[in-house]
Amino acid sequence: MSPRFASGLCLARSLIGAIRTGAILSGMILIGAIATCAESVAAPVQTEHVRVALISEKNALVPGQRAWLGLRLVHEPHWHTYWINPGDSGLPTKLAWHLPAYLQADEIAWPTPQRFDVGTLSNFGYSGKALLPVALEVAPTAKRGSIAHVSVDAKWLVCREQCIPGKATLKLSLPIAATAVTHSRWQHVFAAARAAQPLPSAWSGSARLAGDRIEVALSGADLPSTDQLDAFVVQRQVVGYERPRARRDGDSVTFDFARSEYFSAPPAALDLLIVDGGRAGEAARSVTVPFAGAEAGSPRH
Amino acid sequence: MKQFSIRVVVAALLLGAFAAPALAKVAVGEAAPDFTLTDSNGKPQSLSQYKGKTVVLEWNNPQCPFVAKHYSGNMQRQQADAVASGVVWLTINSAAPGKEGSMDGAAANAYVGKVAAKQTAYVLDPNGTAGHLYAARTTPHMYVIDPAGVVRYMGGIDSIPSTDKDDLPKATQYVRQALAELKDGKPVSVPTSQPYGCSVKYGS
Repeated sequence: MSPRFASGLCLARSLIGAIRTGAILSGMILIGAIATCAESVAAPVQTEHVRVALISEKNALVPGQRAWLGLRLVHEPHWHTYWINPGDSGLPTKLAWHLPAYLQADEIAWPTPQRFDVGTLSNFGYSGKALLPVALEVAPTAKRGSIAHVSVDAKWLVCREQCIPGKATLKLSLPIAATAVTHSRWQHVFAAARAAQPLPSAWSGSARLAGDRIEVALSGADLPSTDQLDAFVVQRQVVGYERPRARRDGDSVTFDFARSEYFSAPPAALDLLIVDGGRAGEAARSVTVPFAGAEAGSPRH
Repeated sequence: MKQFSIRVVVAALLLGAFAAPALAKVAVGEAAPDFTLTDSNGKPQSLSQYKGKTVVLEWNNPQCPFVAKHYSGNMQRQQADAVASGVVWLTINSAAPGKEGSMDGAAANAYVGKVAAKQTAYVLDPNGTAGHLYAARTTPHMYVIDPAGVVRYMGGIDSIPSTDKDDLPKATQYVRQALAELKDGKPVSVPTSQPYGCSVKYGS
């Protein structure tokens, strides 16, 4: 899709939005719309090995409603960026927002990452086309008819074998309106991002230290078969990052992780994503389990 | 010396055979495994030859942005201060030939000169022998070994994982801190931290 078409689309939508909301079509608004529309669709920045853009799911922000923005990452083949826990090396992508007072950005809603194993080293992240979605809370006091100027400083590390740090300041100008419609251009991108979100599971369980291993036992309905299971742990300095072994123990599934050499104290709880490689296309499940103290059941040294 | 070399070879074979589980060997409070390698000047370098001295091991890859961040001055200053107080500082390169950051002795010496590094020796580990023995994962990845040969610190060089030089003044320098505490006869207050950086470019 050409930038010209995108800009024209945006301008038309802004004008329609302005007419709908009963705003006076003054020269000021028109100029404002023209000046900002090229940005409001997205401003991709081509950096080394990854193209980044800040995109908005909808064409406007609605007072009192939640809106979704996202950092779109289009990686060159074989290059990847990182999840919140990057694994043995790497860095998670970071966003620092500059927003008007009536907007508040949540943390990144991290999509389920891929595993990248090279020899004995493991990493978690994203390749190809990825979107890091962020919810934007729009205060009810946001003024309709005005334009919200949103800016984010994004920092990432993109790696193949070598790694290159990147950063960009990305800006988006979005009208504040009574209603908002989904950008047709980004509809499938946000839909894919939703499909890539882990779903909260109803499983319960616990984690415990067992010598130089860490075991996480899960129970509940609908436990997956253990054939092609993988599990990613959010917290660092707890588990080793090689794929854990999974086994069926009666009514539960137990994941057997190596203990990280950098484990110093058990965290209060462990957040995991459970990925069933046997069910391609099915969302990962998230589960949070309490971590039993090192005393509970582990051999003493 | 020869005996140690054989031990390294045996260890390397075992590591090759058992892969990942054998990696988790080095631990704070336990004996640091010995190795014998060759430095950039062709001289043998083993851990055991420095018994009685505190030794810092630093994993290095000149082309890694995390390494470049610390070689903006932080690493050289720490090396100089450590060496001046009698500490042995070994910079180790475990990149396999052909991989990013792999260097021969001449190239390593050129790098050391260019960045004005102040380590005791720049050690070449093209087979990844010492790297696998220590389960070195990142560049940089740091280890502090006391005069009795016991690991006292392992992990990141500091507390802020980033490639950004601006973070240096805000970060706690864990290696510097551990060396100061050891010198004062105190326990190391932060004995492990999450190593951060580029992955070590081992051969397959």
